[in-house]
Amino acid sequence: MSNFIYGTSRFLAWFGALVLTLLAVMSVFSIAGRAFSFAGFGPVPGDFELVEAGTALAVFCFLPWCHLKRAHADVAMLWHAYPPAMRRLILVLVEALMLAVWCLLVWRMGVAMLEYRANGEVSFILQMPVWWGYAASFVPGALGCLVYAWRLIETIGLVKPREGFTAAEGAH
Amino acid sequence: MDALSLAAWSFPALLLLIILRVPIGLSMLTLGLVGSWLVYGSVAPLLNQMKTLAYGTFSSHSLSIVPLFLLMGQFASLGGMSQALFKAGEALIGHRKGGVGMAAIGACAGFGSICGSSLATAATMGQVALPELRKVGYDGGLASGLLAAGGTLGILIPPSIVLVIYAILAEQNIAKLFAAAFVPGILAALGYMLVIGIVVRLYPQWGGRQIAPLPWSERIRAQRDVWPVVVIFVTVIGGIYTGIFTPTEGAAVGAVATGLLAWWKGGLNREKLLRAFEATASGTGMVFMIVLGAAAYNTFLALSQLPQELATWVGGLGLSPYAVLWAIIVFYLIFGCVMDSLSMILLTIPIFFPMVSGLDFGLPPEEMAIWFGILVLIVVEVGLITPPVGMNLFVIQSMAPDIPIRSTYRGVLPFVASDLLRVGLLVAFPSITLFVLRL
Repeated sequence: MSNFIYGTSRFLAWFGALVLTLLAVMSVFSIAGRAFSFAGFGPVPGDFELVEAGTALAVFCFLPWCHLKRAHADVAMLWHAYPPAMRRLILVLVEALMLAVWCLLVWRMGVAMLEYRANGEVSFILQMPVWWGYAASFVPGALGCLVYAWRLIETIGLVKPREGFTAAEGAH
Repeated sequence: MDALSLAAWSFPALLLLIILRVPIGLSMLTLGLVGSWLVYGSVAPLLNQMKTLAYGTFSSHSLSIVPLFLLMGQFASLGGMSQALFKAGEALIGHRKGGVGMAAIGACAGFGSICGSSLATAATMGQVALPELRKVGYDGGLASGLLAAGGTLGILIPPSIVLVIYAILAEQNIAKLFAAAFVPGILAALGYMLVIGIVVRLYPQWGGRQIAPLPWSERIRAQRDVWPVVVIFVTVIGGIYTGIFTPTEGAAVGAVATGLLAWWKGGLNREKLLRAFEATASGTGMVFMIVLGAAAYNTFLALSQLPQELATWVGGLGLSPYAVLWAIIVFYLIFGCVMDSLSMILLTIPIFFPMVSGLDFGLPPEEMAIWFGILVLIVVEVGLITPPVGMNLFVIQSMAPDIPIRSTYRGVLPFVASDLLRVGLLVAFPSITLFVLRL
């Protein structure tokens, strides 16, 4: 199970970054097409919509990995002053809170997806059904629930966490 | 409890959660959802609002700049430009007093012009310059302090992720903000170089050996190796500023260009590409978790009417606009010691911006918004190098565990002083920031 959780999160991170790279390449083609519009070329149709849906998909793919790498911003200023029991309790509660909030958000997102499918709303340029974007992001979102649940199990101490995934890192 | 006092009480609650080390994004998200629920008085409108909360926040065209700039920064690190920039600076001024340190600052500024992230700049330049500085005998604290400070140039000099977030929150033009950040960014680099010059004169033993001057032919040759940086900077920032493409497209161009550069320089094998992807993933995840939390929390604050009430109240106090501005700056400096820069911006701009917008600084509204944005950018970035919690200090520290953290703290203080001096200068003379826009 551990292999599945870590492997899936890593794969999702790669996949999200690939989506992001493809969006970047598409934008470059779009600019080039616009620049050569005199020669009959044009921007990629619906590039704006694709960037929006693609960014959401990429972010949903990134979040489980970010969580496993403990890359979320926090303030550890007084952390070492807390008694060990309190630290353990906080860690467990944080993981439980993360799982609960995320499951709630993904559940509501699923409801929105079904509603958009029922009302048949489509995007402006590509006439792409809005629910497609939700559906694509729902998959990594739901996998995120599994990852957060696994991290909670790890933190409670039922399984050992992986080496190399215990220290914080981040970027901004 | 009425909505307004709920919102007021949510601040200490938020601080408590953050101090307990609940991740900042999760803290804001939880309080935002609970707060909205209490204000609505029932759960149905909240559940309705949550349907589009995550997807709606993440599928943002302007926010897509953030992961693209992070990807660009990763590729830039792999493109070998950090080495070339440092060598170019060293060839030019390395033989002067404090010259190697100044070259490192110059290289940070150069790297910052193709990288929108402070930590990536500190990490990349630290790897290249820290060993070199220590080789010529720099004091460990000065070396790590100057590189931590130099890292902030990554975000002070456009492109800049923090400015993108500010632009979205304050509904300002990203291109103009980038243009306005340029001169203050250059001033920052010059200020840091000046600090090095002063420190090595006061404490000659900290500055290490001077290296032998190179013949001019070699100095010029070293400059030629940095042309890709110049080309990418001019294309991305020039393209955005002249409106040839949107900021999002500019970020895409930057990511593709640095990617091609890294590939051309041989820095892009499969292993490194996947590590760059993973770093982009964790960096983006971190930013968007905070963005999501801030979206929920700011919705709650807006429901409670607190930002408007606060702005009206401050406006009615009859304080001088500069007193309010300085109070905000001091607030950022204090909280910057413990808080993360993006969280601070996302949390406070929706409150401070309406407050400041109502004050009269003798500037047109757009210029005021841009000037305020640049000031905020600088003061939150000071937070990255102020002890005890300065992310850049930790990044550099992790590369040289033998340098005591106390030396690093001591070493960075003169640079913090230079930052504060610059803030004073930019507050006193708004035209330093704004003249580029008036050309």
